[in-house]
Amino acid sequence: MGNPVVEVSDLSVLFGLKVVLYRVEFKLYPGQVALIVGANGSGKSTFVHTLCGLTTPRSGTVRVLGTDPRKFSRSERRRIGVMLHKSMLYSKLTAQENLELYARLYGVSEPQQRAFRWIERVGLRSAAELMVHQLSRGMEQRLALARALLAEPEVVLLDEPFAALDEDGVNLACELLKEARDRGAALVLTSHEGSSPFIGAIEPLVFRLTQYRLHPVERENRRRGPWRWMLT
Amino acid sequence: MLANFGALVRKDLILELRSGRLFLELVTLSLLILVVLLIAYGPSGSRHGAFAAAAVWVAMVFSALPASRLALAAEGDNDCIKGLILSPVDPATVYAAKTSVVALSMTAGAMITLALSILLFNLELSMRLARLIPVLLLGTVGLAALGTLLGTMTMRLELGDVMLALLGTPLYVPALIAGISASIDLLNGASLWACGPPLKVLLAWDLLFGTCGCLLYEYLVS
Repeated sequence: MGNPVVEVSDLSVLFGLKVVLYRVEFKLYPGQVALIVGANGSGKSTFVHTLCGLTTPRSGTVRVLGTDPRKFSRSERRRIGVMLHKSMLYSKLTAQENLELYARLYGVSEPQQRAFRWIERVGLRSAAELMVHQLSRGMEQRLALARALLAEPEVVLLDEPFAALDEDGVNLACELLKEARDRGAALVLTSHEGSSPFIGAIEPLVFRLTQYRLHPVERENRRRGPWRWMLT
Repeated sequence: MLANFGALVRKDLILELRSGRLFLELVTLSLLILVVLLIAYGPSGSRHGAFAAAAVWVAMVFSALPASRLALAAEGDNDCIKGLILSPVDPATVYAAKTSVVALSMTAGAMITLALSILLFNLELSMRLARLIPVLLLGTVGLAALGTLLGTMTMRLELGDVMLALLGTPLYVPALIAGISASIDLLNGASLWACGPPLKVLLAWDLLFGTCGCLLYEYLVS
């Protein structure tokens, strides 16, 4: 299986006196998908922020591709795709201009063509020349997903990637994520309770984030019924 | 690095051209300042060169702070600043691109202020005015470099605008003294070589804050 590409050990994160994550342990290998479920405010976004280096842990170690994410070099950043709660897209640039900009920043070859190809892949061909503020929330979410996957990263960190997506959108997102997994990328996704069963198709390792800790959801437990384990 | 710089400048210019907000704000402010000075000192007089120089510099200083704030506003939109932090772009490149766009907008604003000064203060069109251009360019680069640095420091603060003005005012003083004295001398007929000392001060000021920005930007945005 090789070395883990994401390794979290004894991680605690506090905001002031409020504990958000406490002594979290987590490992992910290439080609694996981790789905982190939990209620609103349980710390899922904080976990993703910590993995991409935007939040500083109080204690413990975080290693992504063998490096502390806060000390990533430029070449390491190129190998990581991130999608956060907000889309990180310029609302007064068109869909094409946004993806083209990020393609250039990530050093992707043929940025214009690659950007357009990704716009087509997420089903936004007719909206390529629309500005982001003219897109619906679901369309913006599709574009944000394309932005995260554009440079074919080795580690993909996605905070609530299925939020605001309709059934087709979730299905499409799952196909793209499955494709990334199949080429060897490691993916960390978060989702709140009641997510679509389409996610099951990418065979994720499921973790429930409760009481500040990640608890693996056993496969046996998951077999009890379609997504019933999510409610336990 | 150059490709990233080009992509970021292009993005900021497109955003600026689409909104036009920054440029419009600079021109409106300049016009207002010139009109106030014109009312105060009348349409004719012997010291018009000095008034015009002062007006251009007042307009530049007053426009530097909002210019930096507006240029950074786009990054707050949809958390785009996080997109830049997480991308493989050197933060110094982001800073240089932002400063360049602010400086370009300010230069355009300064040129329009100068043109309005010529009209409103009945200044004679001559080589004296052309000699002002390097001084104004040095001034705009420094003001943009410092403004972008301070704007980033204060952009997430609740009283960011107040802090921006409080921090910026004392730091602008050396550039203002050098810039205004050089501008007045040039408009009164002095040669560019004769204004060497104030120009050196302006250049040193530009280099100081430009270097500080490139070195510190990573810590300011993270």
